[in-house]
Amino acid sequence: MVSQLTTSERQYALVTLLLLGLGGLAMAAMGRGDPIAVHGYIVLLFAIGLSFVVMAGYYAPEPDKERLSRYYDDPTRVGIVLSIAWAVVGMFVGVWVAALLAWPDLTFDQAWASFGRLRPVHTSGVIFGFGGNALIATSFHVLQRTTRARLPGQFAPWFVLLGYNLFCVVAASGYLIGVTQSKEYAEPEWYADIWLVVVWVTYFLIYLRTLARRKEPHIYVANWYYMAFILVVAMLHIVNNIAVPISWGSAKSYSVYSGVQDAMVQWWYGHNAVAFFLTAGFLGMMYYYMPKRAGRPIFSYRLSIISFWGITFFYMWAGSHHLHYTALPQWVQTLGMTFSVMLLVPSWASAGNALATLNGAWHKVRDDATLRFMMVAAVFYGLSTFEGSFMAIRPVNSLSHYTDWTVGHVHAGALGWVAMITFGSIYALVPWMWKREAMYSPKLIEVHFWLALSGTIVYVFAMWNSGIIQGLMWRTYNESGSLTYSFIDSLVAMHPYYIARAFGGLLFLLGAIVAAYNVWMTIRQSKLEAAQGKEDADIPLFARDAVQAGE
Amino acid sequence: MDFDHDTLVALSKSWGLFYLLAMSAAVMVYALWPSNRKRFTHAKMSILDNDDKPLE
Amino acid sequence: MKEFFHRKIERNAIGFVVAIVAVASIGGFMEIAPLFTIQETVEEVPDMRTYTPLELAGRNIYIREGCYACHSQMIRTLRDEVERYGPYSLAVESKYDHPMLWGSKRTGPDLARLGEKYSDAWHVAHLINPRDVVPESVMPKYGWLMRNELKIDDLGEHIAAQQTVGVPYTQEMVENAVQDARGQATPDTDAAAGVAQRYGDATHVRAFDGDPSRLTEMDALVAYLQILGKLTDKAYQQAATAEVQ
Repeated sequence: MVSQLTTSERQYALVTLLLLGLGGLAMAAMGRGDPIAVHGYIVLLFAIGLSFVVMAGYYAPEPDKERLSRYYDDPTRVGIVLSIAWAVVGMFVGVWVAALLAWPDLTFDQAWASFGRLRPVHTSGVIFGFGGNALIATSFHVLQRTTRARLPGQFAPWFVLLGYNLFCVVAASGYLIGVTQSKEYAEPEWYADIWLVVVWVTYFLIYLRTLARRKEPHIYVANWYYMAFILVVAMLHIVNNIAVPISWGSAKSYSVYSGVQDAMVQWWYGHNAVAFFLTAGFLGMMYYYMPKRAGRPIFSYRLSIISFWGITFFYMWAGSHHLHYTALPQWVQTLGMTFSVMLLVPSWASAGNALATLNGAWHKVRDDATLRFMMVAAVFYGLSTFEGSFMAIRPVNSLSHYTDWTVGHVHAGALGWVAMITFGSIYALVPWMWKREAMYSPKLIEVHFWLALSGTIVYVFAMWNSGIIQGLMWRTYNESGSLTYSFIDSLVAMHPYYIARAFGGLLFLLGAIVAAYNVWMTIRQSKLEAAQGKEDADIPLFARDAVQAGE
Repeated sequence: MDFDHDTLVALSKSWGLFYLLAMSAAVMVYALWPSNRKRFTHAKMSILDNDDKPLE
Repeated sequence: MKEFFHRKIERNAIGFVVAIVAVASIGGFMEIAPLFTIQETVEEVPDMRTYTPLELAGRNIYIREGCYACHSQMIRTLRDEVERYGPYSLAVESKYDHPMLWGSKRTGPDLARLGEKYSDAWHVAHLINPRDVVPESVMPKYGWLMRNELKIDDLGEHIAAQQTVGVPYTQEMVENAVQDARGQATPDTDAAAGVAQRYGDATHVRAFDGDPSRLTEMDALVAYLQILGKLTDKAYQQAATAEVQ
């Protein structure tokens, strides 16, 4: 892969890795006795490891000019593989933490294995590791196809992809050794946050530069969503993470915000991470891969534009619904609730638009599990946005907040929508990227589909039940006017649901493992055939009738 | 900063609404403007092309 | 006109970027801006004190172990919550919390008013093995808190950073941070007297983990848990006034 970089890009790569390695060394040296030193060594190892890769290919001949008449897909390929690897790791830890709630002694008395430290490994692993890598990989792919332009250079995309994964590794390893800011979904400490800003700005510049080189006059709507994802995530990340480190040699920092202000900033971030990381980006994926796979154009392009601005606008106001009945001023709560309810309009417009696109292609949905993944994703998107708006209503929230219902809602979105659209897109993209007619085994896609769907349903039903029971038990009074149940009564009542939830998660994890195997074998087959010299350069893959291959 | 709390709240409450209305109007006009139709149709069809190469 | 404008926006990706940022940021700004002036609406509470260095270290352990993932520290203004946990939480009570630990999930109960509800010995036993004290509990064991010495050499830097973000620590508190941390867990020493002098006589000074000869992470965490909801009694006063009326 290094052979695709020009000599000057190889030099850039080495210089960048040298600087990164020095950075790691500085962290290790200044932070003696502090967890930041561990991260210093991780950064250093990462830089050294990659320099070996670059050095090994350094003297390979320069790529020919011919490359400019093709798209640059190497980072997308690696991104897909990384995404699947993170999916398996993140979901495995998810099943583990779910099991901890049913069998609390599975920590083996190890600090790193306790629920509080593993839980962010799960959330970051699936959101940032699995979701983020999938977004980066697909965005490079979609961007080039819809602008009809090649990425502007070969180095920057690698910087973004690998730099982002360094961030993920530092984040996840940090939680295990106790480095966290405690801000949910923004747990990494100050140095990781600064690094992510650098990576993100590069990502944004790649997007802008490619758009500037585009051959299509109009920017296809999928790119709007990807752009909103990149831009707004940058805004959220920077604002929410402003903090003062106690020293340059320490991992610990203190947020500049406190109390009610911090709560608002945090949930403004938290909710919009859902909006722009887990929704906008994946809608971008959907608006490209779904029409492509179905062989039909998006039902209404205009509707997709209207819902784009609706989502971009309304979401920003909705964060305060996480703070109903708290010390946050009531008018802010009401504002959040109102906008959350209005948000249903653009959300359902998007879900409806997706489903209407499939109208006339239902036979393909029936036969092709890949397309079915995308269809089910759109259905779950519709369901969980409805549920979200509903739960944002104050009286409903008084019951649901702090309970497992929230967890169920999040997973209806994360498993049903985000993971399903991602797996669908990956199954569509992998044969395309590795020049195959189809995935290694369409049967295994079918198996994965049913594992994923049943896992999601078991999980979500378990959490709905436990959440509502919990919420009701907490507020039940007996005739004498005192509370009927102690807290521990409600916890005991949760036990069967926690087991069911772990089981649902396990099914979903098994599905992800099946996917990993299927992708691996597809790549292997492609490599084997390439080695046998059977490579047919440009199969126009992903053709409108490629769907039949699933039969 | 000379803004007191009440001013900011009032500003948020009033201008937020106007902003919302203006925004929706602008988006609707853009999405439904007749001469944009051709461009949108082109965009939605063009991704279905199977030609997997950059345009020179 | 309109038409021309939109075409321009679209032709030029930068224009599009500006549009997204404008649309997205104004919402957040309008919601958050008034919160920066919110201290004007928060009542003055003269008796509100800051965390001692030992309590702050305990709070950092609470953060490190991810306790906030299962325990909230925010009692909502609902009857059943007030009856179960105590007076509802006021904005002022987390004024010095950088960051706040309101939490979002109650796998375990709310802790906003945990302070002094149980004895130190109960907390120590509970943290070492929750199921020794509450058989049905699903909380992890935190035995290592008792084994780990508390890292105190950089507490001065911690307090100084807290000062930077706006918590009213004095220079004297910064300078004595290390000594105060040790003093709070070793009663009847000069260092202990210094803690009371700087943070008030009501500050708990005792061997929280039961062993005055060692300063462990357990000392710090229990010290923190015992101060939860006790930095000011404003919430109790307010509840009492409401009852009288």
